Amino acid sequence: MSGFARGKRRKFTSYVLTYAGLVSLFLVFVFPLLWIVGISLKTREQIFTNPPVFFWIPTFENYVHVLTQSDFLASFGNSLVVTTASVTLSLLIGIPASYTFARFHFPGRGVAMITLLIMRMLPPVAILLPLFVLFKAVGLSNTRISVIIAYTTFSLPLIVWVMKDYFANLPKELEEAAYIDGASRMLAFRRIVLPLARPGIVTAAILSLLLAWNDFIFAAILTNNATRTSPVLLASYAGGETGTNWGAITASGVLVVIPVIIFSLIVQKHLVQGLSSGTVK
Amino acid sequence: MVAQQFEPTGGYVDMVGEDAMSERRNAWIKFQDRMFVPLTTVPTIIASLLVFGIPLTFSLLLSFQGWTIDSALLAGRFVGLANYEDLFTDPLFRSSLLLTIGYTLSTVTLELLFGLGVALLLNSRVPFVRIFRTALIIPMMITPIVAALTWKLLLDPSYGLVNAILGTRTVWLGDPNLALIAVGIVNIWQNTPFVAILLLAGLQSLPSEPVEAAAVDGANSWQTFRHVTLPLLMPYVVVAVLLRTIFEFRSFENIWVMTGGGPANATKLLSVYTFEASFLSFDLTLAAASSWVMLFIVLIFCVFFILATKRKEIQ
Repeated sequence: MSGFARGKRRKFTSYVLTYAGLVSLFLVFVFPLLWIVGISLKTREQIFTNPPVFFWIPTFENYVHVLTQSDFLASFGNSLVVTTASVTLSLLIGIPASYTFARFHFPGRGVAMITLLIMRMLPPVAILLPLFVLFKAVGLSNTRISVIIAYTTFSLPLIVWVMKDYFANLPKELEEAAYIDGASRMLAFRRIVLPLARPGIVTAAILSLLLAWNDFIFAAILTNNATRTSPVLLASYAGGETGTNWGAITASGVLVVIPVIIFSLIVQKHLVQGLSSGTVK
Repeated sequence: MVAQQFEPTGGYVDMVGEDAMSERRNAWIKFQDRMFVPLTTVPTIIASLLVFGIPLTFSLLLSFQGWTIDSALLAGRFVGLANYEDLFTDPLFRSSLLLTIGYTLSTVTLELLFGLGVALLLNSRVPFVRIFRTALIIPMMITPIVAALTWKLLLDPSYGLVNAILGTRTVWLGDPNLALIAVGIVNIWQNTPFVAILLLAGLQSLPSEPVEAAAVDGANSWQTFRHVTLPLLMPYVVVAVLLRTIFEFRSFENIWVMTGGGPANATKLLSVYTFEASFLSFDLTLAAASSWVMLFIVLIFCVFFILATKRKEIQ
């Protein structure tokens, strides 16, 4: 009886410790972001009060200010255009390739897969200079097209590897039955494999969407004030001192991050699997 | 070829014509099938050549040449290893190389230690643990520039939350002794969740029998973890360490936004050095050499990576 009670007490203690740990995790990893959301809902006086204000009536004036600013809207629009275009293109190019890598053996396949894996590892800053020079030489500098080309290609390794694992897990028999019925490989791929692979495609699409939406370094170099994306605009706020415009900075940051969070939560189960695809089985 | 055994049969008027037609159809399908592999892979190969192959070859050439942005693309003259000599005799480059190595080693080590702790915590079977798992995804996914801005404001000397909590007025990002630690902590904050969730996936995929056997043998929970769980988790740890090393090595955004490489070059990592040589001082051949030093280091890690993850299916 006493042993049972001790066991119960020990279980209770371990519960308390676990929750204490989990809550501190939350405080460390999420609270800083909530604080920033809080700043975006404060007036200028409330932001610059010492000690900080913890309870206040939220105001949306910062969001109104940001959303009526042509700078922010233009960059947000550019981000939308660039992201949509590069996700579409990279899926169109990457998914068929990935299927071929998963299903067919042909000379050079291993080398191609490894090359794609390495492409994903290369530091963008080390490719930026020649890319910039070459885009300039063909007259594409300062255009959204240049960034779209860059994002599309940088997404390809991600898409190919994520989808390859997915395709490899689909039963081969379905395609074989289609071949027997006289379908070509293309037809079997389009009509039978693609619909089955939809969940994998969603993951791949969102991962490449996040890559394009979150990128700073390519857009910083390949775009100008008219074609820059949101992260470039946000970074320009940080140039030197952050000044007194914290309300606008935090509100724009929140607006840029909201889509990221929504999409990340959609694929949360597959997120790490996707980001480390080609590595852990 | 398989399809030929299943040619349509039945009451057609002109069987010969039908045969010819289906033969032509089969030949067409055969042709399509032969083209399938090239058709599906060539666009990826072309894109990779355009954005990786050609630029990388070009910068490799540049790194052995004298060239300026106003010259014609291939007009540089060969200067041998002069650019690399310039690079390695530049004290700023040498210090940034050392700084990058130290920075990468320490951030990856801490991410691994914290990540392992967080993974074990998130692996506990208590109600609502899922909510915490989900919440942890957010910092790792948010736009790096926003994460950097967030921490720039939190670390603000006068009105930042960090100083308000600590009751200090430390100038975190303006002090050469603190700045690198501060940007490092931000990177650790943003990337520990990735390590944690990767290791959590590893923990959840482990078989339960060895742990149960250890418990039967009377091992306490530390012994079980040290001698049973950790060895089984090792493949995931290796992947996490290699991936984080490769990605920590390229750290750029948070540093660029928070300190711009300063103060007094205290946070000038290789990526910042390369970026500045490329786009601020426009010393393009030096930048190409510095890019290739970075690429070379990453390629070495890639070899480790590929050997460590041994993808048998590729061969």
